[in-house]
Amino acid sequence: MQTTTTALLEMQSIGKRFGAVQALDGFAMDVEPGEFVTVVGPSGCGKSTLFNIVAGLEEPDEGGILRFKGRGCHAKELLGRVSFMPQRDLLLPWRNVVDNAILAREIEGANRAAMRAEARAMLPEFGLAGFEKQYPHQLSGGMRQRVALMRTFLFERELMLLDEPFGALDALTRSMMQRWLLDIWQRHRRTILFITHDVDEAIFLGDRVLVMTARPGRVKLMRKVELPRPRKAELVTSPEFTAIKREVLDAIEEEAMKSFVAETAA
Amino acid sequence: MKASLRLAGGLLLAGLIWEGAVVVFGIRQSTLPRLTEVLAAIAATPGAYWSGFLRTAIETLIGFAAGTVVGVANGLIFFRAPILRDMLLPIFVVSQTIPVIAFGALVVMWFGNTLMAKAVIAFYLTFFPVTVNTLLGLHSVDPRQVALLRSFGATGRQILFRLQLPMALPQIFVALRLGASLSLVGAIVGEWFGDTTGIGVLLLQAMYNENVIAVWAAILCAAVLGTGFYALVALAERRIVFWGAEQ
Repeated sequence: MQTTTTALLEMQSIGKRFGAVQALDGFAMDVEPGEFVTVVGPSGCGKSTLFNIVAGLEEPDEGGILRFKGRGCHAKELLGRVSFMPQRDLLLPWRNVVDNAILAREIEGANRAAMRAEARAMLPEFGLAGFEKQYPHQLSGGMRQRVALMRTFLFERELMLLDEPFGALDALTRSMMQRWLLDIWQRHRRTILFITHDVDEAIFLGDRVLVMTARPGRVKLMRKVELPRPRKAELVTSPEFTAIKREVLDAIEEEAMKSFVAETAA
Repeated sequence: MKASLRLAGGLLLAGLIWEGAVVVFGIRQSTLPRLTEVLAAIAATPGAYWSGFLRTAIETLIGFAAGTVVGVANGLIFFRAPILRDMLLPIFVVSQTIPVIAFGALVVMWFGNTLMAKAVIAFYLTFFPVTVNTLLGLHSVDPRQVALLRSFGATGRQILFRLQLPMALPQIFVALRLGASLSLVGAIVGEWFGDTTGIGVLLLQAMYNENVIAVWAAILCAAVLGTGFYALVALAERRIVFWGAEQ
């Protein structure tokens, strides 16, 4: 096998079976450095399994190819090499904003005082200025999510995995957070893999939108989003946006229908 | 501040009702003496009550502290080594179903009429709930939280000390509050097997002398000690587990 590609992450014929359930089967994709790839699909399509594999938490079944920075590797070798943000913020209730934000770096063995200073300097950018001493139970849902994002950003890894980070937020906060995330991403230039349920969100954020099939999860559609950046809120009503949305929605609906039929038949 | 004033008011009210009820209903002294008579008895020989109080307090504290340390250590060991848990935990359970009184004589034979003998009984009653709750707390940690720390590349040790043990603290404190009361019971029962000072000794002496006032005086001392100790543990809990049991 030759490895001349420049992709940061490569997956080929990745499968994962849990007992009787085939979560992923023949999954393949590449992620280029600096790219923002969004993943959508019907619920239970194996999105989380995909993320757990890339985060190093779950080993794919034999036979697949997983490459990170051009080198083939086991999933568990990715532990500590990608920065993973799960659906829930999972902040530690006994740590204040700054200490929660530096958790990943602290585990890595970074100097605490230096990390705290770095985190404090980042607070305004994450809309948390003045909140450094607050504890999670004193923060709103949107703020907690930003602390979790800050923890993910501070853990400087080339690849970031964001699993529905805005899923629990109300529509207004969510669209503000989306633009804010794009802003941050453009300045920090990381590679992002982003799971969402929301098609608008997927198109608005992504360079490419990946639509997954119903279980077992495979790639149904990989759609390049050639919308100019920086992206403004009004973009979502433009004809170009709507055309892509139509395409993505068709693909999702077809798959959602399949899993619906499969469930009702069972 | 406001709450403690109200509490003081409540205590005063309870005292007045006690005092008043004895007078109004003409209750005989041998059934229930007046509160002021009880307080007067303590004031008459404060030294005896104070040294008894202190002695029992020390026995309770030593037993409680040892029970906490051993209980948390047990919990950690059982959590990390399920084989040991399966081997030993059932034995612990059996040991706890034996009434502590049954061990009293044995403990006295081993340790004599020393302070240690009472502390051992207090310990015996404390370590088990702490063990069980530590284990429970460690197991109750959200697996997604563990997965997150693993994705950061955390070692098992880092996950234990940065996540699991702090997460288990609310559960551990439930056991500590229970242990605060149980360790006092252990210390007093221990004193019944032979000693010369302590609240338990005061109780026994009062009983043999059929001195109702002295019995109530000893009960009052035990109540102050028990409540005070419990309040201290609860205060520590509020300080340490300040985030409450959210999540």
